[in-house]
Amino acid sequence: MKQHKSFSILLSIILVMVIFIAGCSSNSSTTDNESSNENDTSNSEEEQVTINLGFYSGGESDEKMQELIDGFMEKHPEIKVTTQSAPYGQFFQKLDTQIAAGEAPDIWLSDGVLVMKYAERGAVKDLTEWVNRDLNKEEYYGLEFNEDTNGKYWGVPQGIQIGALYYNKDLFDQAGVDYPNEDWTWEDLKEVAAKLTIDASDKKPGDEGFNSDNIKQFGLTFFSITEGWFPVLKSYGGGILNDSLNKSIINSDENKQALEWMVDGMSRGIITDPADLKSFQSSMAVFPSGSAAMRIGIYARVLAANEAGLNYDVTVLPKGPDGERFSPVIANSWVINDSTSDKKAKAAWEWIKYWATEDEVQKEWAALGEAVPVKKSVANSEVFLNASDKPENREAFLESFDFAGTLDTNAVWSEWVAKFNEHAQRAFLKESTIDEALENADKDIQEIVDEFYKE
Amino acid sequence: MESQRVTQTSTILTTKKRRLLTHEGRWGLLLVSPYLIHFIVFVVGPLIASLYFSFSQYDMLNPPNWAGLENYEKLFNEPLFYKSLWNTLYFAILFVPTQAFLALLLAVALNQKLKALKLYRMAHFIPVISSWTVVMYVVDAIFNPRFGMANNFLIKLGLEPQRWLNDEQLVIPLLVLVAVWKGVGYMMVIYLAGLQNVPNELYEAAEIDGAGTIKKFKSITLPLISPTTFLVIVLSTITTFQAFEQIYVMTGGAADITEAGGPNDASLVLMLYLYREGFSFLHMGYASAIAWILFIILFLLTLLQLWGQKKWVHYN
Repeated sequence: MKQHKSFSILLSIILVMVIFIAGCSSNSSTTDNESSNENDTSNSEEEQVTINLGFYSGGESDEKMQELIDGFMEKHPEIKVTTQSAPYGQFFQKLDTQIAAGEAPDIWLSDGVLVMKYAERGAVKDLTEWVNRDLNKEEYYGLEFNEDTNGKYWGVPQGIQIGALYYNKDLFDQAGVDYPNEDWTWEDLKEVAAKLTIDASDKKPGDEGFNSDNIKQFGLTFFSITEGWFPVLKSYGGGILNDSLNKSIINSDENKQALEWMVDGMSRGIITDPADLKSFQSSMAVFPSGSAAMRIGIYARVLAANEAGLNYDVTVLPKGPDGERFSPVIANSWVINDSTSDKKAKAAWEWIKYWATEDEVQKEWAALGEAVPVKKSVANSEVFLNASDKPENREAFLESFDFAGTLDTNAVWSEWVAKFNEHAQRAFLKESTIDEALENADKDIQEIVDEFYKE
Repeated sequence: MESQRVTQTSTILTTKKRRLLTHEGRWGLLLVSPYLIHFIVFVVGPLIASLYFSFSQYDMLNPPNWAGLENYEKLFNEPLFYKSLWNTLYFAILFVPTQAFLALLLAVALNQKLKALKLYRMAHFIPVISSWTVVMYVVDAIFNPRFGMANNFLIKLGLEPQRWLNDEQLVIPLLVLVAVWKGVGYMMVIYLAGLQNVPNELYEAAEIDGAGTIKKFKSITLPLISPTTFLVIVLSTITTFQAFEQIYVMTGGAADITEAGGPNDASLVLMLYLYREGFSFLHMGYASAIAWILFIILFLLTLLQLWGQKKWVHYN
């Protein structure tokens, strides 16, 4: 009898432990949405719908997002919003596993370049019907950037990133060179950049004893697809994929010409090459630290430049040899989980509408300075154009929409970008010729695309 | 009292045949059940799942599709797999003996009666507890090709500055150097424990017989701590095959995953390759296949080490 009793005590201890362990595993989701339990109860009482909203963020934007969500819930008492957020890298790493486990948020903020990754794998809802019904497309920037090749919309932009040419006015003044203007071609840029390049012993390109391997100040810094090679390739008439995004068009004369421009600039020390970039804590740090006179940058880069207190401005990106221009766009967007219930999806769409249509929301978000507002009326208003911070010429970002395009984003974007980077870097560092780089990139990328689209 | 217990156990022994589990057996099972449940749910389950995934096409966002040996076929035809396998082996070949040797050397030095001994031991343990991100900043201060001390030093000596982590030839040796610096303190502590278990009488006896310091070390210390050496070698081998964070952080993966393992994949080790394929490109099935190959390699290596130990490890 006594033994029985101690046995059952032990059994209950273990039971408690098991429950505790089980509790731990679901704990992470309860901390994500602290108020979810309370919502569940009120849910059954008042026919309320609770949606879980996921977004990536940093400190300040987190707070603002919460404010806007509170405003939304006030306006829509029938909808409760619980949130989960994490820094960028963690957010997307977790998201994939959450989708696999059927635990993903009902609606989440997707990096613009990843929308097609989710769309073409059936993880997010087709929003075409709702977009057509509820949004006046003329009023927004960037809706078309979430349109696939069949004209379907998979997300609604939350904020737009678009590329422009940043230049450090102080460095231009020191060198006694005119600021960049809208008539520039990439050749003009390089000519001026050469005048702004200074090596460790204060010599300029063309001076005797100039050492292109030890540069103190670069004329232009660029890196990555968005803020580097893609806009150059495109304005030279080249590119990576065809219009239906399933054929590589890499091995072309236009691309070759563009790459020649880059490699020449890099070997002369005017443009940062991949090895140069490694010597900075981050590739993004070169311009804000004052080590480069110009950069190709998306809108979000004003934050770092302002924080560094640079005296700088922006203008549209230069033209290619035939006068063609191209500005890269990333439309970070709200997408709705495909496996969420209709009721929740509808509530999630209410949030999207609230985000896109309400001027107040757009203005509040624009004040953070992270992205170009989605709504044209707000982007063209004082709130955005005459913000107290630099740069002065914010119109340049809006003008760039006239010649803007996506980064040939498809379902396997991250994968083919990695391959292209690999081959381009080899050419940049003169480990292979430009012809070899293009040929190999063409072959490898076609393989990657074929593998996904073969069925 | 005594006899009572004896009869009790004997009755249990007789009933054992009839029942699947004895009373004590049930207790035992109950007592280990928290671990057992954990083991089944979080170890055996995922293990079986990953084996299944390795035979399917799985992108995490959609259910897996059975694909037979496709992933393994692709793996064995992929030059990058062989390159990452070689990088991993190269890392291990440099790392394991260097770390074991240095750890032993340090342990012997710190097993003496020195002043401020605890301080020395602590100093060697500090890198062990620092995170790789912190270590990366220290490494950058030294090996940054542009501002680093190492290049300044070379230039002062009139030598050519190096590209260090950006140099395909130098990257792995340099990573090993840093890994040894960071890990040696831990192995040193294991060795210290081993050294302190060597009975002093043996040294005293040897001294009477006229053995010198080197002779004592060779004939007494080394054989008696050979189980420790074995442990250190097995542990370091496993660490190298699982090396991820260091290379990820030090080759720039934190900023851009496609940078990790550079330059030109010269430091792409199996774990990084697995991570990139699985989590960046959503080839989870392929990544699972890599994981299983990695497991088989480690398993064989450990078997080899276990077999080899008979020849040189002495257990009292």
